[in-house]
Parts: sequence; C-alpha cells; structure tokens
Amino acid sequence: MKNEKTESFLKSLFAGEIKQEIIFPFPQQDAEEQENLQMILQAWQEFARDHVDAVEIDKNAEIPEVVMQGMREIGLFGLPVSDEYDGAGVSKTSYCRVFEEICRYEAGIAVMFGAHASIGTNGIVLFGTEKQKAEYLPKLASGEYIAAFALTEPNAGSDAAGIQTKAVLNEKKTAFILNGSKIWISNGGIASIATVFAKTVVHREGEDKEKITAFIVDLNSPGVSRGKPEHKLGIRGSNTTSLNFDNVLVPVENVLGPMGKGFLVAMETLNTGRLGLAAGCIGGMKELLREATEHAKSREQFNKSLDQFELIKDKIARIASDIYATESIVYLTTGLHDKGGVDVSLESAICKIFGSEAVWNTADEVLQIAGGLGYSAEYPYERYLRDARIHRIFEGTNEILRMFVALSGIQGPGEYLKNVGKALRNPIKGFGLLTGFAAHKVKDSISMDHLKDVCPDLKSEAEQFDKLAARLAAITEKVLMKYGKKIILKQFILQRIANMAINLFGMAAVISRVDTRVKQDKSIEHDLPLAKLFCNMAASRVRREARYINRNHDKQRAQISTMICENNKYPIEMLLEK
Amino acid sequence: MKIAILLKQVPVKDAMLELNDSGNWIEEDDVQFEINDSDHYGLAEALNIAKENEGEVTVVTMGPDRVKDSIKQALAKGAHRAIHIDDEEVSSSDPLTCAKIIAAAIKDENFDLILSGLQSDDLGFGQTGVLVAEILGMPHATLVVETEILDGKIKVKRELEGGWFQNVELPLPAMLSIQSGLTDIPYATIKGIMMAKKKPVAEVEADDLGVELDGGAFKLEKIYTPVKSKETTVFEGDADTIVAQLIDKLKNEAKVL
Repeated sequence: MKNEKTESFLKSLFAGEIKQEIIFPFPQQDAEEQENLQMILQAWQEFARDHVDAVEIDKNAEIPEVVMQGMREIGLFGLPVSDEYDGAGVSKTSYCRVFEEICRYEAGIAVMFGAHASIGTNGIVLFGTEKQKAEYLPKLASGEYIAAFALTEPNAGSDAAGIQTKAVLNEKKTAFILNGSKIWISNGGIASIATVFAKTVVHREGEDKEKITAFIVDLNSPGVSRGKPEHKLGIRGSNTTSLNFDNVLVPVENVLGPMGKGFLVAMETLNTGRLGLAAGCIGGMKELLREATEHAKSREQFNKSLDQFELIKDKIARIASDIYATESIVYLTTGLHDKGGVDVSLESAICKIFGSEAVWNTADEVLQIAGGLGYSAEYPYERYLRDARIHRIFEGTNEILRMFVALSGIQGPGEYLKNVGKALRNPIKGFGLLTGFAAHKVKDSISMDHLKDVCPDLKSEAEQFDKLAARLAAITEKVLMKYGKKIILKQFILQRIANMAINLFGMAAVISRVDTRVKQDKSIEHDLPLAKLFCNMAASRVRREARYINRNHDKQRAQISTMICENNKYPIEMLLEK
Repeated sequence: MKIAILLKQVPVKDAMLELNDSGNWIEEDDVQFEINDSDHYGLAEALNIAKENEGEVTVVTMGPDRVKDSIKQALAKGAHRAIHIDDEEVSSSDPLTCAKIIAAAIKDENFDLILSGLQSDDLGFGQTGVLVAEILGMPHATLVVETEILDGKIKVKRELEGGWFQNVELPLPAMLSIQSGLTDIPYATIKGIMMAKKKPVAEVEADDLGVELDGGAFKLEKIYTPVKSKETTVFEGDADTIVAQLIDKLKNEAKVL
C-alpha cells in the first residue's frame, strides 16, 4: 500500500467544505473499457441465462459445479487480479458492474464470488508481497483456488479487534502455530486458502505487545477443520461454515502485510470490498423492479392494472429513485477509487449502508405489490426478501458502519475505525485516541460553501444541498462542543449525524451525475425525475435528522430499553390490571 | 482447414419494435442488436470442428457498422478472424442478393467448409447459406446435427421430420446449416475479449464486389403488427357431438392436429 490518500469529499463536508472538484464531473469510463465491460457482461448473461437456476440453488443450498466451472472458463474469478498475474485487470468500476450483474441472477453466487474476489483475494492484491502474489494470484484468478476471509469469531463480531485466535512463532522461527476458531466464513467449506486474522506478539517501543496480524492460510493444512454448512435464511447457495485451527503451521512467508498491522489489512480490504456488495444490491433492486413492474402491469383489480393506482406508482417511483441514487453513489465511489489519490473509506461505507437498506426496502415493497403471491414460495419474491436481508449484517453491520461514518467524519481525515473500536472498548483510555477534534474548525454559516455552476435543472436541489451541508457542519461542531470526547458513546446522536452524511452524499452524487450528463449534452429525460425525487426525499430526511439532534426522546428511549431489559419482558399486563 | 461461419446480426429478442415510415421494415434507431441465436450453434460447431482438425474459423458478417459489435463477440468467443461486408442496405436485401454478395466476397478464400445457423430470427428464410453454396458450386446439407471430417469429405447426420434422420457424406468443400439447441452456445471469455481486438477483421465494401443488383428475386413491401383478435366458440350438444366438433375445429381450422 503506497498510495497517499489525503483528500476526502465527505470528511471535508463535515468541516463545512464542499470539495466539488473531487466529485465533479461524475467519473466516466473510457470507450475501450466500456466496450470490454459490455462484452464481459454479455458473456455472463448468456451463460447465466442457460445455467443459473436460482430456485434450484436456493432449494439445494449449493452452487452447481457447472456454474463454478462456467465462471472459471469465462475468467470471472480473475476480475480483481491484474493481468500480470493472469487476471483480467479491470477497474473497480468494471468489477462492480459485473458484480451487480452476477447478483441480478443469483445472490448466493454473488456472495460466493464476493467472498472470493472482493475480500478473499483483495487482501493479497492490496498487501501481498511479490512472492505471495506470484504464488497465489494466478490460481485465484483461474478459480483453481477459491478464497475466503476469516475475521469474525464467536466473541468478536462487530468488535473485530477483540479476536482471540492466536499465532505464535515456533522455536525455529520458520512458522507460526495458529490456534483458534472463526465463524460465519463465506466459502469456508469450499475455499483452498483464507486470509486469517490472529493475535501475535509484536515488539514495539521496547516492549512486547499483542497485535493482530494477517496470514494467508492453506485450508488443506493439517489441523484445519471446517464446520458443517450453516442453514441460512437466504443466500443459501453460498457456503458458510466455521473454521477451526488446531496447531496449524503457517510458514512465516505467509504473513500478509506488516506484522501487527492485521487490523489495517482487514479494514482496507473491507473498505474496498464493500463496494462490490453495494453494487450487488443494485443488481438485486433492478431485478426486483423488473419483476414488480411485470406484475403491476398484468394484475388487474377494480378493472384497472395495479400500475394505474397511485399507491403502486409511489412504490415503483421510490424504488427506481433509490436505484438511481445507489448507482450514483457506488459508481461515483468506484470512479474515485479508480482515479486514486482520494480517501473513499467513508464513501464506501455509505454505499454499503445505503445499498443494503435500499435493496431490503425494495424487496419488502415489491413483495407487497405482489400481495399474497409475494408470500408464496411458488413465486420468487420471498426468496428475494430472504436473500436481501444479509446485506445489512455482513461486511460490517450498518450500525457499526454508521458509527464509523459519523466518528470518522467528526475526527477528520487520517483516522480509522480501529481507534473508534479501541475507544468504545475502553472509553476512558480511548479519549486520547480521538485527538484533533478539539481543534476542529468549521466555517460559520456566513461563509457557507456552495456547489458552483450546477445545471439549472437541479438548481433548487443544489441549494438545498448547500444549506444542509452547512447544517451538518454546524451540528458537528455543536455536538463536539456540547459532548466533547463523550460523543464517542452518544450513539443516538451519532446515528443522526451519519444519516445526514449518508443522504447528503447521495444528493451530491446524484447532482454530479445529472450535471455531468447535461454538460456532455446527453439527455436527462430519464434521469431528472429520478434525481429530483431522490434529492427531495433525501433532503427532508436530512432536515428531520437535524431537527431531532436537539428535540428528541432519547432519554425515553434509553429509559424504556433499560426498563424492558431489567424486567426481561414487556412489563405491563394490560387486561389483568384492576 | 478453413472454416467460414456466416453470422447475422438481428434485433435482440425482447426489443420493442416499431415500423419505419415506409412500413417495409422496422425503425432501427433505438433497437439493440445481437448475434442471431441459430448462428451461435453454427459458430459452436465451427469452433468444435476447428479444434479437432487444426482449423481456422472465419466469421463472415454482412451489414452496416453496427455489426462490428457482433463480429467482436464472435471473435471473443473463439473465432480466429473475420470478414465484414459493409452494406447499409442489408436489412432489406432478399436472400438471393445477400447470397450473391457473400459469395462474391468469399469466393477467393477457398473455404473448406461454410457453416450457417438454421435461420435468422428476423426474417427466417433459412436460405442464404444454401444459396451461397449453389452460387459457389458447393454441395450443401441443412439441419445438420452431427459432423465428422473424413479424408476430403464430411459425414453429416441431418434431422428430417417425424423423428427420422439421414446420414450423408459430402465431398469438401461443402456448406452446412446447423440445427439449433444441440450444444451449449459458446460463451466469450475475458481472455478472449481482450484478445479479440488483436484479431484481423477484413473490411469489404459490398458495392465494390461487382454484384449486379437487379432488385432481387424477392422484395419486402409491407410488414405489420399482427392484429389481435379473440374469438370464442361454444360447442353445444352431447359429449360425442362436442368432441366431434372440437376435433374438426382443431384439425381443419386451428390445424394443430
């Protein structure tokens, strides 16, 4: 990892600065890349139409070998790997666009593919030595090896830094002895290798400290055992197991990234991995919308097809504008990632949060449009709903990611989730970790920053964005002054700040996308209504969150929860009272 | 062994088609195009034969600039090179004119084998390949389901009607139209996609081939959207009469029996 990522659109936004030049114009792919992408998409579509049977995959909880083999032959497993190592060497944007299309056909395949490519292989791409890359990447690119990413443990889920798996150097100093267990590992049963995170003793500043280190572990080594595939709600085609390590020897050459820097390896891998997940949500939503539209046009009630009713129009319109917004934030972020030099960790987290919630709402509303049919397992709607649910949980729960967005935004550039995690586990010691925010300066409302030269079609949306961005900055400063370092524990407030940032980023991405089209003389006939609906809904969400910062019922929330937890149940027996 | 596959580009299957102003063809401006489905099977067979006989597969496609996309697709799926016969008017040409142009364009290539799909998804004549063979003086066989290259000849199995097959040998060079659906269609690979750009595509101007365009044997005057009509007949009488009436209708009107 050598790139200097200093600038961040969102982190600046928290300080009241609109770095328009980062996100305008909306990133574009060159013609050759677009043409290649189009052909890769078509190859997958032609294959998937013939060989991917989503109903069977869900029923059998297994991806058939013919699908795996087809994906190998097409070369899809090599998408995140550069051509130097026999991969396809495509950009993050192309990768995510293909991921979107894979998820459109079957979410279990997408999860298998994401665990392999987005996070399993990505760690080696980002942090591998030349030797590690030469040894593993060609096999991962061809699909001979399937990869997994093993971070989560029974006692370390969201609190990833709290893992207990240990790796101890043997006497000859040739290998680490790995002991511990991992759970919920996608591809756990089928992977050849995994990036495994374990505690190691590292000598720092004159003393031995326990730090996390990442390892490339051959899962066919003696001492590795794999649990039974989990019986899951959705994404049933994907294989999820536990992994147990009992005195597994891992050669010292297999340390991934610097010793003791495993947490950084994990977070960086997940930062970009999340973009694939968010792109997958777009594919899911597009398929759901297609299904919903077909049903709404053909189903008649009161002598009219459903699509003629305003309550159905409302659902279809909101789903479509959510797709538009998710596309805008995801491909803005992948574009920025491809260009390089920009920190997109917050933006990636927002893509994951927004995409996963949008696909869940979409699955829910589409099932509602289908009515009774939606609830029947004879139709695909319930499967879509089951498949969509996981995205809010894995690769960082949306709750953790909201705290990450708010706290990183507040802290300013350069800080990472690890500090927040440490601070959360040890609030008193953690105070010192969030340095710098006391000196946080935001511009006052008089010198409010503006989006400049935005096309007239979205003038009022851009003005709303300016005002609300200033409000985010003002609130950030205000809560810092009010709560000081205790802000770390003020999750009610942090969630509202995160929600403001999420919606503002959505607005900015959508405005950039439409504005860029206008400046390229492209038609915005389809874009404009979607953009306007999204921006205005997002703006009202931001205003609502801002209002609740001061006037809320947080005390009651906390009080009620305490009351319920103390009673272990709902404490009132209504009809029995005299 | 030099193998040609005649490959046509047609509107995608779920395209929303509108008629053009003169009502003799579709409005092509907003339509997406793809490789004609049947031709995929011809391509698959060509690639198989080439693989087993150290052959080279040449894609031969006629049409305006847009067909280059389909040519690239075919090259990404494994074909070795292509000939693009540039012809703006291809969509309204009749099969004989098409065949004359194609034959003129490829006659000097001396292909050992010319393959085509069964028929095109847009006009569905199923004649172009056979006509090319006639013009070039080659033997031809249609609806081929199996091939085997022998010394200087090819043995093929043809599907006839009613579950009958015909085994026949043709001397090479020969032309075959391949039955659809018997194999997987070939998929492009990412490596193939990256390599496709480097494969040679020869450009031939249809106008420069000296083919006399005499209006053709066939002219498309008018096309129209089928008129939707719904007619319900209620049969009355006892069961035997109703069955008799039903069978009569199915046999003589609906012609499904």
